[in-house]
Amino acid sequence: MATQKIHFFTGKGGVGKSLLAASYAYAIAKKIDRGPVLLAELTERSFYRDFLSHKNIGYKPSVLQNLSKNLSISQWSAADCLKEYAMHLLKIESLYKIFFENPISKSLIQVAPGLQELAILGKATSGQRKHGPQMPFSDIAIDAFATGHFINMLRAPKAMSEIISVGPMGEQSRSIDRCLRDASLCQVHIVTNAEELPISEAIELYFELKKEFGIRSSVYLNKLLNLDDLDFKNLPEDEQKYFSEIAENEQISIQKLAAENIDFKKILFIPETDTVKLVESLSKFYD
Amino acid sequence: MIELKSLTKTLICIGPGGVGKTTMAATIAIGKAHEGKKVLVLTIDPSLRLAQALGIKPDGHVHNLTSQTMLAQKGSLFACVIQHEIAFHEFIIQASSNKLATHDIDKLTQNKLYKQLSTKLSGSQEFTSLFKLNSYVQSGLYDLVILDTPPAQHTWQFLKAPEKLSQLFNEGVASWFRNPAQADIGFFKKILNIGTTQVLKALETLTGADFIKELSLFFSAVQNWQAPLEKQVLDCHRLLASPTTEFALITMLDQSRITECQKISQEILQEGYHLTTVVINKVPQWFKNSRASYSQKIQRLSDYYQKTESLFMQSLTSDAGFKNQLKIYKCPEVSQNQLHAKKLSEIYFQISRFN
Repeated sequence: MATQKIHFFTGKGGVGKSLLAASYAYAIAKKIDRGPVLLAELTERSFYRDFLSHKNIGYKPSVLQNLSKNLSISQWSAADCLKEYAMHLLKIESLYKIFFENPISKSLIQVAPGLQELAILGKATSGQRKHGPQMPFSDIAIDAFATGHFINMLRAPKAMSEIISVGPMGEQSRSIDRCLRDASLCQVHIVTNAEELPISEAIELYFELKKEFGIRSSVYLNKLLNLDDLDFKNLPEDEQKYFSEIAENEQISIQKLAAENIDFKKILFIPETDTVKLVESLSKFYD
Repeated sequence: MIELKSLTKTLICIGPGGVGKTTMAATIAIGKAHEGKKVLVLTIDPSLRLAQALGIKPDGHVHNLTSQTMLAQKGSLFACVIQHEIAFHEFIIQASSNKLATHDIDKLTQNKLYKQLSTKLSGSQEFTSLFKLNSYVQSGLYDLVILDTPPAQHTWQFLKAPEKLSQLFNEGVASWFRNPAQADIGFFKKILNIGTTQVLKALETLTGADFIKELSLFFSAVQNWQAPLEKQVLDCHRLLASPTTEFALITMLDQSRITECQKISQEILQEGYHLTTVVINKVPQWFKNSRASYSQKIQRLSDYYQKTESLFMQSLTSDAGFKNQLKIYKCPEVSQNQLHAKKLSEIYFQISRFN
């Protein structure tokens, strides 16, 4: 199998990153030369369970039958990632329990700087690093944290390798960090809306990722209405004003991204309440 | 308008990211001040525009906004942007009952674990906002204190924050790392007693030896806060569960928010908190008009909003018990270009009951 590729989706809260992650995963799963594909969410409480009406979402991947046989879904909590990795090394459940299920370790895992983030990234990159439990997927799309938490997560491996420079922990941290910086292995997808705050957050994140990690993120301008003057010129004045303001915000957002020389994809808002249909329609934007 | 019980002293606004929670907290605060109350609104991270609109500085202090916001003489409005690190520091000083000398405090604030707790440990930001909320409510200076909760991944993380932090300081854990002078004997003896010498090794592998040292210093510095911390946690719980505290869940007219809103509401009610209010925010105003002159594009948008609105109502009113406990409101969409205090007070009076 060719190298596994990881796709992280991030952006300000509410911009639609979960939906875009799902439709992106679905778009790759439809390709003949790729797959199977995994869609993973980093939550303690599943978003997709209700959204995609898929009842048995858990740590173990399960096939998203209502979308594609080539697409599986899974939910990663830091604790599960850490447990799986520890079990992989220790092999014996009772030994794991002594290590991890005593109050001291539990509390320490909670507070140890970056350990939870490291566990998640370790899981995500285990295939590429040929270290830890392997996953049989060509691509993994991760519905990741919102902007601030996301960049802190990416910083964790380097920070950890600086604290613990020798030994296997330091070595693993360095290899995770190398993966994140390798464009053939990891891709970051920043989702934004055509509004002032999400746009400025997205631009800031784009340049931070570029400067700190050398990452060139893909940017998606999501939920565009893409209205034409003709769409609202016959409406009463207040409605005209409403729609022209939306059109103007979309123009300003496009100009802002262009002014920063950021390439981006326009994703139209799809007025659809059936979520499976919604994911299918959105997947066409990646063709 | 939002109806609150006459005895309510605290309103906690919760909800997922991106729904306009901070603006809603400010809107309700302005509205309640208009109605004649002395209101304080506590927020974490207002957008620059909102901060400018209200004239607040993010300095952790309470600002009197009554004159800026042109209120009727009766009520008054105060606002404070909670500064997490300052608030955490205040909490440490208070929890140590002022027993820490200045150099001890300096030593503590340089500690890596302290830095972690006071900056990014999940739950500590929620904890400090509750700590500040509690102290402002207890001060008795305000008729109503409104809290805009921090942008948590999940709403219920906020409610669990005090517990999570107190677990960290429970006697079993803290005592392991205390008293560094006797640590060599006491520490290892305790480990041997449980028969898990490897635990320490595993921890060192995971976190590094330096971290264990920091931890020991940290716990010895804060020896005395066990009891005060537990008291704080208890006070916060009491405030959250108090009959004079109401919760408002803020959401928006978006397909993906429907089931989420229903689930969160059910859970919060089951936990015994007084969730009384759901506000569906950013509801466009135009789509009710159904004009023949709509272009195809706008007609599809209109259909979508109509459908989403009715699905939302269905989901929130399908359970009769649920429906009776909740007042469901919708709030019109505010354009960012119109964000100023006068507009927010107009918007407050346009918030209407759904059920």
